[in-house]
Amino acid sequence: MALAIRKIKRQIRSVKNTQKITKAMELVSAAKMRRAVSAVKLSRSYADLAWQAVLNLSQKTDPELHLLLTKPKEIKKVGVLVVGSNRGLCGVFNQQLLKKAVAFAASEKEVSSDVAIDFITLGRKAALSLVKAGFNIAADFPKTEIISAVGEIMPLSRMLLDDFLDKKYDKIVLIYTDFISSLRQQPTIKQLLPLVPQSKKSQENGTAEYIFEPDADSILRNFLPRLLEMQIYQAVLESNASEHSSRMLAMRNASDSAGGLLADLTLGFNKARQAGITQEIAEISVSKAAME
Amino acid sequence: MAIKFKIVTPERVVYENEVDSVTLPTQTGEITVLPNHIPLVAALKAGELTARKNKEEFPMAVSGGLIEINKNEVIVLADTAEHAYEINEQWAEEARSRALKLIQEKHKEEVDYTALTATIEKELARLKVARRHKSKLPFQNQ
Repeated sequence: MALAIRKIKRQIRSVKNTQKITKAMELVSAAKMRRAVSAVKLSRSYADLAWQAVLNLSQKTDPELHLLLTKPKEIKKVGVLVVGSNRGLCGVFNQQLLKKAVAFAASEKEVSSDVAIDFITLGRKAALSLVKAGFNIAADFPKTEIISAVGEIMPLSRMLLDDFLDKKYDKIVLIYTDFISSLRQQPTIKQLLPLVPQSKKSQENGTAEYIFEPDADSILRNFLPRLLEMQIYQAVLESNASEHSSRMLAMRNASDSAGGLLADLTLGFNKARQAGITQEIAEISVSKAAME
Repeated sequence: MAIKFKIVTPERVVYENEVDSVTLPTQTGEITVLPNHIPLVAALKAGELTARKNKEEFPMAVSGGLIEINKNEVIVLADTAEHAYEINEQWAEEARSRALKLIQEKHKEEVDYTALTATIEKELARLKVARRHKSKLPFQNQ
C-alpha cells in the first residue's frame, strides 16, 4: 500500500512540473501572439491594397513592359514557399501546413505529370517534415522569432523574384497559414507569379489602360518588385501570428488537461491513504480483540 | 460626386474617407485629382498631400510611394504618411539636422547616399507641413 502511495505522489509531482512549464509557455506565447497579431493587422490593409494594385496593373498594362508581368507559356518548374515554424508544440499548425503542401504538389502533378516542384522553406519544422515526406528542397531560410521590417525577409523575396525573372521557375506559390482569429487559422495557398487577374473586377472597371507618370517602365521597375515583396512579408507575418496563437491554444489545453489529471491523481492518492489508515485501524482492533 | 480616397502605409491606414478632391505631390509635379479622373498610376514624391472635403482640409506629410487612380477611387500606397497635427516640429527638425550631418560626414566613407537624401527629403516635407498647419488644428479633440 505504501508503495502505491509513493508512486502516486511521484506522478503528481511530475504532472505539476509539466503544468508549470506549459503554463509558462502559454504566457510567453500569449505575449508573442499579441505582438504578432497587432503587426499583422496593421499591415494587412496595405498588403491587400498593394496586391489589388498589382493585379490591376497586370490586367491593364502590356505584359511586354515588365518581365514580372509575363506569363510563361508552359509551366514546367514550380517554386513553392512554405512558411512554417521553428519549433514544435504548437498543435496542428505544422501538420496542417504540410498536408496542404502535399495536396498542392499532388494537384500540380495531376495537371501535368512532368512538372517539377521545388520547395523553399522558412522555419525549421517545415523543412524537416518536407524532407521526411521525400520532397525536393531548393533552399531553407532561417526564421527569426520576431520580424519587424520588410528588409528582414529581403534575401528570401529577392531569391524568389530573381528565380522567376531568370526563368528558373515558371510559377511561384506561397503556402502559409492565414490568421483569421486567435481561434481560427487557415492554411492557404496563394499564387504569387504569374499574376492572375481576378475576372470579376475587370468588368467593373472597364478595359481602359492606365496612364503612367513619369513613365510605365520606371514605375513598374520601382514598384512591382516592392509590392510583391510586401505579399511575401505579409504571408510571413500571418504565419507568425498563427503560429503563436496556435501554440498558446495548445499550451492552454495542455495546462487544462494537466489540471484534470492532477485532480484525478489527488483523488486516487487520498483514497489510497485513507485505505491505508482504515486497514491499520482494523489490524490494531483485531489484534486488541485477540489479546482480550 | 465624391472620390473614395484611401491612404495606407505598411504600418497603418492613415486616412480613409470620401473626399471632394485630393492634391498629391508626384515626381513630375503636383497634381490635383477631381472626380472622374482618368485611370492613372504615378510615383509619389516626398511632400504635402491634401485631401479636401466640404471646404475642410486634411493635410498630410508623405514620403515616396505609389498612387493608383481608378474611376473615382484614389489609393495611395505610401512609405510613410502622417497627419499634420501628428508631427512634432522639434523632432522633425532634429531628424533633419541629424540626416544632414550624416551626409556631411559621409564623404569620407561611402554610405547609402540615396537613402540619406530620401530621409532628408522626407523630413523636410514633414517640417513644411507641420509649420504651415501649426496654427490651425483640424480636429477638435486636439
